[in-house]
Amino acid sequence: MTKKLSTNILDKLSIDYLRNQVLKNAYGNLDTVIAKRDPRVLLIWYLFFGLVPWFVDDLYFLMACFVLVLVTTYLAKITALVLFVFAIGVFSQSGYLFIVSLFFGGDVNTLIPLLILTLKVSTCSLASITVFSGLDPDRLANGLMWFNFPERLSFSISYAYRMLPLLMSEFQNVLLSFRMRGKAPSSEGFKGKVQYLIYQVKMIMQSFYPLMLNVAKRSRTTVEALEIRGYRNAATSKEVRKLKLADLQFTYDDALFIALSILWITAILLIKR
Amino acid sequence: MNIIEAENLSYRYPASDKAILDGLTLTIEKGDFLAIVGNNGCGKSTFCKTLNGLIPHFITGEFKGSVKINGHDTKTMTVSELAHMVGYVYQDFDNQIVRPTVLDDASYACLNYAYSDYLSRGKEALKLCGLQNKEKDYVFELSGGQTHLLALAGALALNPEVLILDEPIAQLDPGHADLIYGILKELNEVHGKTIIVIEHHSEYIAEYCHHVVLLKDGKCAFKLPTKEALNHVEELKEANIFVPQVTRVAYALKSRGYNWDRQLPISRDEGLEYFKGMDFWPNEKPASFKRGEVIVDFDHVILGYRTMSKKRHVVFKDLNLKIYEGDRLAIIGSNGAGKTSLLKMLVGLSKPLSGSLKIMGKDTSAYKPQDFAEYVSLVMQNPEQMFIADSIASDIAFAMKARNISDYEEKTAELLEAFELTALQNRDGRLLSGGQMRRASLAIGVALNPEILLLDEPTANLDMATRKEIMDTLSRMQDIIKTAVIATHDMQLVAEWANRIVVLHDGEVIADGDRDSIFADQRVIEEIGIRPPAVFDLAKELKADNRIYTVEEFVKQARV
Repeated sequence: MTKKLSTNILDKLSIDYLRNQVLKNAYGNLDTVIAKRDPRVLLIWYLFFGLVPWFVDDLYFLMACFVLVLVTTYLAKITALVLFVFAIGVFSQSGYLFIVSLFFGGDVNTLIPLLILTLKVSTCSLASITVFSGLDPDRLANGLMWFNFPERLSFSISYAYRMLPLLMSEFQNVLLSFRMRGKAPSSEGFKGKVQYLIYQVKMIMQSFYPLMLNVAKRSRTTVEALEIRGYRNAATSKEVRKLKLADLQFTYDDALFIALSILWITAILLIKR
Repeated sequence: MNIIEAENLSYRYPASDKAILDGLTLTIEKGDFLAIVGNNGCGKSTFCKTLNGLIPHFITGEFKGSVKINGHDTKTMTVSELAHMVGYVYQDFDNQIVRPTVLDDASYACLNYAYSDYLSRGKEALKLCGLQNKEKDYVFELSGGQTHLLALAGALALNPEVLILDEPIAQLDPGHADLIYGILKELNEVHGKTIIVIEHHSEYIAEYCHHVVLLKDGKCAFKLPTKEALNHVEELKEANIFVPQVTRVAYALKSRGYNWDRQLPISRDEGLEYFKGMDFWPNEKPASFKRGEVIVDFDHVILGYRTMSKKRHVVFKDLNLKIYEGDRLAIIGSNGAGKTSLLKMLVGLSKPLSGSLKIMGKDTSAYKPQDFAEYVSLVMQNPEQMFIADSIASDIAFAMKARNISDYEEKTAELLEAFELTALQNRDGRLLSGGQMRRASLAIGVALNPEILLLDEPTANLDMATRKEIMDTLSRMQDIIKTAVIATHDMQLVAEWANRIVVLHDGEVIADGDRDSIFADQRVIEEIGIRPPAVFDLAKELKADNRIYTVEEFVKQARV
C-alpha cells in the first residue's frame, strides 16, 4: 500500500502532469463565474483584498475576508497543483514561526497572533490566486492595459503563457535525455533516498543550460516574426489599444459580484458590533 | 508585369566577413509559382528576407543594390508596409505562432495593424487554409500539419500579393505535404497570389512550380521554366538538388544512348510516355536474411493517456508485435498512428496500461528509463534535444561515464572517428550544421552499444545531400548495430534500408512484411495514403511484375 502510494505521488509529479496542470490553470476554466468577470472589476476587487488585510488586525474582518476569498477560489475552480503549492507555502510560513516562537518561550497564546498572520497571508494569496489564475491570461492582460500598465507587460503575460507548453515539452525532452543516458543511484534505504533526491535535483539543474540554449535558438524566429506581424506597430498605436479593449464590458453580474463582496464584509462587521 | 525586381543585390551579415548575396539580379512575374533552390548557405533565406524588408530594416549589415516590390524600393518602405505585400512562413513555423488560440493567432497581424474587422479577416484566412472549424482550438493542440497551415493563415490574413514559404513540407508527412501544396496551388490559381517556395523536394517542384531559380554563391545561376530547369541534372546535383527519380533514370539511360535527343521527363505521366515499350530484365531475388531471437515482445499491450479535458485517448487497443534480432524494421503510418508512442514505450517513457512488454525476455513493468537504456537507445527526431553536455565529445561520453565504463575515453574517440566528428569534438552540438548534428546524435545513440537502436524520423528536415550522408552512415552502422527500428514517412529510406516493414493505422498493426509485399498491397497503399518511391510506381506501370525501388535498380534492369 505504501509502495503504491509513493509511486502514485511520483507518477503525479511527472512533467506531463505539471504541464497539464499549468495549461488547465491558464485555459481550462474559461466558463467559471470568476473567469467571466470583467478583468477591471477583478483587479479593483483584488486591490482591496490583496492589500487591506495587511493593515487591519481585526480578527472578524480577517475571517470575513478569508471566507470570501475561499469561496471565490472555489468558484474559480483552481487546479489542485496551485492549491497544493499554496497550502505548503502558508503552512511552512506559520508552522515555522510557531516552532521558532516555542523556542523563545512562547506557548499556545502565541497561536492567536500567528493565526492573524496566517489569515493575512492566506487571504492575500487566495485573492491573488483567484484573480491571476482564475482569469484567462489574455483577459488579465487586457485588464492591466486598461489601467495603463505598459503594453509590454500585458504582451509578456500572454506570451509567457503561449511559451509555457513549449518550454515544458522542451524541458521534458532534455530531462528525458538525462534519464535515458544518466544512471540514477539506487533509492534503497535512507541514504539511498537522499542520494537519489540529490541526483534528481542535480539533473534538473543541469537541464537548465541545454533548455535555455534550445529556447534561445527558437526565439530568433519569434523575434523576427513579431516584427513582421506588427507587434511594434501595435505597441504605440492608440487605435490598436482601443480595439483590444473593445470587448471589456461591465455587466450586471459584475455589479452583483462587487455588491455581494461589499455586503458580506459589512454584514460581518455589523454583526460584530 | 514584374512584381519583384532585384538588381545587383549584395548583402553581408554584420558578424560575417563574406557577402552572402553577391550581385544578385532577378525578376519575378506577378502570378508566378516559383521555386528557389541552391546549396546550404547560398543565400536562399537571406534573399527572401530582403523581400519582406527584414533586411535591411530589422537585420542590419551591408546592403547594396536594390529590391523593388510592385515598383516600390524596399529601402524607402517600412517593414509594416511590406508586410501587407509579402507574407512569410518560416521553416521553423512553430516559432512564428505567438498567440494561444487559432483565431487569435490568425488575426494577430490584422489587430496589430488596427483593422477593426481583424477577426473576420482572420476567419477568412483560416477558411483559405481549411482551418475554419478550428477557430477556438489552442495552438498547442494542433498537429504539425495544422500548425503549418495556421502559420500560413497568419501570413495570409493581411492579404499580401506575394507569399514566401521556407521549406514548407520539410516536417510533414506526404498527406499533409499534398494538402499544403494543394492550398498553395489554389491561392496561386484562384486568388492570383505570387508564390515563392524554398524547396529541395524536386518531385513537388516538378508538379507545382512554374519556374525554378538556382542560386549559387550569392548570385542567380539561372531562372528557367521548371521542365527546362530540371533538365540541368549535373548543375543541380552540384547544388545538392536531386532531380525527380524519373528524370534521374532517364538521364542515366541517356548515357547509354536511350532517347539521347529528347528532353528528360519530370513527372510520372511524362515518364510513362518517355519509357513506353521498354523491356526489363526479371527482378532479382530479394536477399534472404535469417531471423534471429525475439528481442522485443509486445503482448496484448493497451496504451492510453488522458488529454487536458480528462478524456482518455487510447493509442493502442491491443498491440501484438515481436521484434527479432537482425530486423531492420521500418514503422510507417500517418501522423498520429502511434509510431512515436511505440518508440516511447520501448525506452520506458510511457508504460502499458495492461499487457506486457518484454525486452530480451525480461518483463519491463518495474523498469526505470535507465534500465531500458541498457538494451535500447533512442535517437530523437530533433537532435538538439540530445545535446545535454557542453561539447559533443562529452555528450557521447556521457552515458558511458555515468555507467563507469573504464575505457570510455577510447570508445568516445573511436565513435568520434567513425562518425567523422573528431575535428568538431569540442563544439556545442547546437552550433553544428544539420548533417553534423544528425551524425552526432547517431553517435550518442550507439555509445552504449545497445541491442536495439530506435530512430525517430532520421531523415526528416534534411536537404538531399545531408540525407544521402545520413543514409550512408545508417548503412555503415549495420556493422555496429544488429537490430534497428526506424519510424518514418520517408518511403525511399524504407525501400532502401528496411528488411521488414510494419504499417500502423489507428494504433493497430495492419500489415507486416517485406517491401515487396507492403508496396504491392493496394489496400494498404490506398487506406493509409503511403506513397511508394516514384520509381517503383513508374516501373510497375511499365511492366506489372516489376519490383524496382531505386534509380540504380531501374537502370540496371532496363533492357536498352
